[in-house]
Amino acid sequence: MFESLLTAFSYLLSDGINFIYLALGVVVGVLFGIIPGLGGATAIALLLPLTFGMAPEQAIILMGGVMGAVSAGGAVTAILLNTPGTAPNAATCFDGYPLTKQGKAGLAIGAAASASAIGGAFGLIILVMVLPVAKTVVLWFGPPAFFMLALLGLTSLTVSSGNMLRGLIAACIGLFIGFVGYDEIGGTERYTGGSDYLWDGLSIVPVLIGLFAIAEMLVLFVKGGSITEAGSQSSIRFTDTLQGIKATLKNIKIVMSGSVIGTLIGAVPGIGGVVASFMSYSFASQITKDDNNFGKGDIRGVIAPESANNAKDGGGLIPTLAFGVPGTAEMALFLGVLILHGLNPGPMLLIEREYTIFVLILTMLGATILSTAFICMAAYYLVRIAYIDSSILIPSVISVSLVGAYAVHNTIGDVFAAAFFGLLGYLMIRYDYPRITLVIALVLCSLMERNYTQSMIMFEGNWTGFFSDNTALVLFLCSIFALCIPLLQALIKKRKNPGGTIE
Amino acid sequence: MRFLIICTSILVILAGCSGNTEGEFPQENISIVIPYGPGGGFDTTVRVFAPYFAAQLGEDVNVLPQNMPGTGGRRGTASIYRADPDGYTVGILNLPGLVLPSILGEKVDYELNQMSWIGRIESQDYVLLVQESSGIQSIEDLQAVDKITFVSIGYGTTVLAAIQIAAEQMGLMDKDLKFLTGYSGTNDQLVALVRGDGNATISPISTAVQYVRSGNLRPLAVTGNKRNSNFPDTPTFSELGFPGLTDLNVQRSLAGPPGMDPNVLSKLREAFLRVMEDPEFLAAAALAAMDVAPLNGDLAAAEIETNFSYYEKFVTNLSNPNQL
Repeated sequence: MFESLLTAFSYLLSDGINFIYLALGVVVGVLFGIIPGLGGATAIALLLPLTFGMAPEQAIILMGGVMGAVSAGGAVTAILLNTPGTAPNAATCFDGYPLTKQGKAGLAIGAAASASAIGGAFGLIILVMVLPVAKTVVLWFGPPAFFMLALLGLTSLTVSSGNMLRGLIAACIGLFIGFVGYDEIGGTERYTGGSDYLWDGLSIVPVLIGLFAIAEMLVLFVKGGSITEAGSQSSIRFTDTLQGIKATLKNIKIVMSGSVIGTLIGAVPGIGGVVASFMSYSFASQITKDDNNFGKGDIRGVIAPESANNAKDGGGLIPTLAFGVPGTAEMALFLGVLILHGLNPGPMLLIEREYTIFVLILTMLGATILSTAFICMAAYYLVRIAYIDSSILIPSVISVSLVGAYAVHNTIGDVFAAAFFGLLGYLMIRYDYPRITLVIALVLCSLMERNYTQSMIMFEGNWTGFFSDNTALVLFLCSIFALCIPLLQALIKKRKNPGGTIE
Repeated sequence: MRFLIICTSILVILAGCSGNTEGEFPQENISIVIPYGPGGGFDTTVRVFAPYFAAQLGEDVNVLPQNMPGTGGRRGTASIYRADPDGYTVGILNLPGLVLPSILGEKVDYELNQMSWIGRIESQDYVLLVQESSGIQSIEDLQAVDKITFVSIGYGTTVLAAIQIAAEQMGLMDKDLKFLTGYSGTNDQLVALVRGDGNATISPISTAVQYVRSGNLRPLAVTGNKRNSNFPDTPTFSELGFPGLTDLNVQRSLAGPPGMDPNVLSKLREAFLRVMEDPEFLAAAALAAMDVAPLNGDLAAAEIETNFSYYEKFVTNLSNPNQL
């Protein structure tokens, strides 16, 4: 394995043009990340024709550059405009945007970029360690296990949201929205009203753009002014980003846990980066429960999701390379690139062309670091956006958001969806319902339902079958444990403080 | 002054209206609509094909792939059907994928027979697979198993239809037979078989090759008239006495909207045939694991009728096995 690593390294250094491809990929990735609605998948699709004349490894370098840089770029818009540049950046909005409002945008950007780099690097290290056993691990997850995993996701979600009842309601709304569409197993259309647009169900990106970008613009419209009130021009300095990097290093434990969560969830096909970053956020919120400011500008609320959403790329490579089952949408496109260049992913790729994989891994590593540097240097200019008056900002962001919503699938329906969810998001902010819960429920809905139905077909209606599958059983116990965490925490508190009251 | 402005405006408008009535087709870029998302088989095929097609059509002409996924391929197909028949919008069509919805009783927004067919690029055969570790070596062995579970993608897809027809033809309907549908793609379906969620499946050959090469899955039979070069030791269904399964395949063909000008259409058809004989295209196609099986426009269109009559024969087998 080490020889492949060294061969890959020397290949990268052998030809100057490789670095140019890497840099090109990074710049394109950051730009596509920043603009909402465009993302890694679009960038890869547009760059595909460029790769025709290239050697397979060079195509991989270009694509690896894009994939490593996209979510770092998306963090910038999430922080400055409360608009997730890509879906997984949505969780970064929760603390990133409040930080901008407090005039600490530079700090947030520095922290996000460095968390992305370190989290992404860590995810790739896990990938390298796991790759030899990847095939076995992927095979542990059948329909019963996937169902339990989705259940675990929903459970930990309700546990970590503030107001339990509102969280549950938001989750139910999310599930209901997720049910809309064609049911592939039952063969019927549900709640589509005969519409072609709804046949495929609601796509996550327009929903996110509406809930987080448009809704916040509506809030800003009602409030007036600009995003950042506190402080003046002079508080944007390069040293702010350096402070952000220091903050990340200080909270390295959160980076590590974010990376682990990101890699693991990225490795499960069909879940995607959104859940990875949200779960990392929830988890970080949980473990710092007594001492945090999450939701109001706690820098750890930026570090946690950002390390997860870069680590998910490393994780997403696991099923992609091992089986050709893409972990995320970008992976699906990346698969297309591989196939086009004659590299068929699957069990054979890992055996026959190990060094090609290492080229990819090293490229993504380089890309995360390069994009961090790029963003930190550009932060001074980027941060100015937060000081623009709302009369210019709101129409610009709303137009970019709506265009971005259209850009996802070239459908006008997505634009209407984004607008609708913009209104819904505004109402949810106003009446304090958690949008994060709705989003995760929406994302997990199809995973849960599909695998539940398949499991029931497998067990012929006998649900005790879930407990005879080892992986499913373990995940189920994790869900029970997650439900018990608040109870355990209360018990521990009582132990420490026998006479006092428990809140 | 005002008179001058009005004259200039009229001239400009007239200049803009002249469009492409003069000069040979093609004058501007051509789009190929792909009714599926990026990264899949149809997407790869078009992206390999497009530059060679552009080369055959003229110096300044680009051929641009455009993804339009949705409704299982029907959205993109409907948009090709409704497009302007000026020759600048064509698309890639899936047979029997576009035939099945009509057979299953659904209304569709396109009329395959009216479209202007340019030619068939690929024809993919199917292969019957079991787990290597199961010890099943032939169709007879499979017929001897009591409980058979086929894994598959969802209802309405060509793969599930192929499995249902094959199950009937192989005489498996009297057994304890289950169809575990709902996997999101053919790769997921094959991984499911490797994992043991079921004990058999049928899949397009190109997706299955890597699982056979790595020793996880064993091919029992292939559709089509001759053996597949990827599995030279695997007999065809007709060799094994199941001739009814020979015509199971997935075809990828190029077509334009109805009502295209005959000159434009024949230009496209000629360019198409030249691409199909271009050794560089064939080499690139082989690298991307494409199963090039060219047919000219009329023969490609004739496949519509072949598909309709084939699947209509089996319509009683094609109902949803997991109707809730």
